[in-house]
Amino acid sequence: MLTVVGIVLLPDTPELIWGFVAFALLMAAMFKLVFPKLNQMLEDRGSAIQGQIEEAERTRQQAEELRRQYEQQLADARVQAEEILAEARTQAEEVRREAAARGDEEAQAILARAREDSAAERGRLVNELRGQVATLSVELAGKIVQKEIDAEQHRSLVDQYINELSGLN
Amino acid sequence: MTTMPVIAAAEWGGEFEGALDPISALFEFPAILDLGPLSINRTILIAWFMTLVAGLIFVVAFRNPQIVPGKLQAACEAIVEFVRENIALEIIGPRGTKFVPLLTTFMVFIFFMNFAKITPFMMLPPTSRAAWPLFLALTAWVVYVGVGIKEQGFGSYFKELAFPPGVPKVLYVILTPIEVVSNLILRPFTLAVRLFANMVAGHILIVITLVAIHVFLPSFPVGWSLGVFALLVSPAVFGFELLIIILQAYIFTMLTAVYIASSMEPAH
Repeated sequence: MLTVVGIVLLPDTPELIWGFVAFALLMAAMFKLVFPKLNQMLEDRGSAIQGQIEEAERTRQQAEELRRQYEQQLADARVQAEEILAEARTQAEEVRREAAARGDEEAQAILARAREDSAAERGRLVNELRGQVATLSVELAGKIVQKEIDAEQHRSLVDQYINELSGLN
Repeated sequence: MTTMPVIAAAEWGGEFEGALDPISALFEFPAILDLGPLSINRTILIAWFMTLVAGLIFVVAFRNPQIVPGKLQAACEAIVEFVRENIALEIIGPRGTKFVPLLTTFMVFIFFMNFAKITPFMMLPPTSRAAWPLFLALTAWVVYVGVGIKEQGFGSYFKELAFPPGVPKVLYVILTPIEVVSNLILRPFTLAVRLFANMVAGHILIVITLVAIHVFLPSFPVGWSLGVFALLVSPAVFGFELLIIILQAYIFTMLTAVYIASSMEPAH
């Protein structure tokens, strides 16, 4: 072998055989031991990532749903609050109006009673006055005429006079 | 090529043993175990060891693969990923996925064979011996011819290969011999020679650098500066060789993918 001068360009048979054996063994190891596991792992990783993405998407949707519910609840609460406020306002207004109406009525009633009272009092006074005027007139007439006139005639005369008098009022 | 050892021998006083050996002494190793055609020499032992290392790395990395990979698994995944994305899918297309294991084996095997060039205690790439690039190129040839026959049918594949469509019939007189020789002989031949020549040249470069350090550095003052220079450039030489090692593994794999791709799609 060492008698050869220069670089050997022809392949060495044992190296060709054993080299190919080594290469074939490496290829067998790659095909049987490495790549099946590698591909399995890549599949697992893919599904794991897919699962995580789906999980994240689910969580996001749940969060979104919750957020929507909370917003809905908040909006409901706001509407309710407004309704309550409006109702309170209406009630207050009603109460105020009722109170005002009742006050008005009472005032009217008081006024009416006062009117009635004053009318009654006036009637009473007129009657009393009428009696007194009649008595006084009779006494006065008696003194003037100096004679007893028919009492009954006299009284009607006085009444007529008073009526005329009150008609002037 | 033998200039440096000759200078070394001269400077040394003609006593540098082995400096005048023929260059084949750097590549040829006698059989350790003589079994005729199954003899085992140093090159074969290096190749076996490197194959074992390569195989163990990948088998251990994916023995119990994790969804969140460890360091070794991530490194091996990166290599497979590179072959898948940058070679198989880019050159062959979506159908290239099924060739990923084969192409990965090519790249890893060639890388580890080449890497023995700069591995201490080995310092010899089996791929600098003609046999290794040869069987690798033959394997690639069998694969791409096989794919062509399987994809297009036996007759159709060789017909497309010898008579490319869309060419005036007269031109076949020139074109057919060129196409046949180029596709069936030159392709594997260039694959093998490219790898072989690069590894031979790299091995010689490394040997010259190391021999220069070994010979000139102790011989102060004569030739001492040459020894210092060789020592200083040796890391750069090793770095350069590492680049070649990776590049050649990649180029071989990439071209194999190109040939497979050309077998898969007729009429181009």
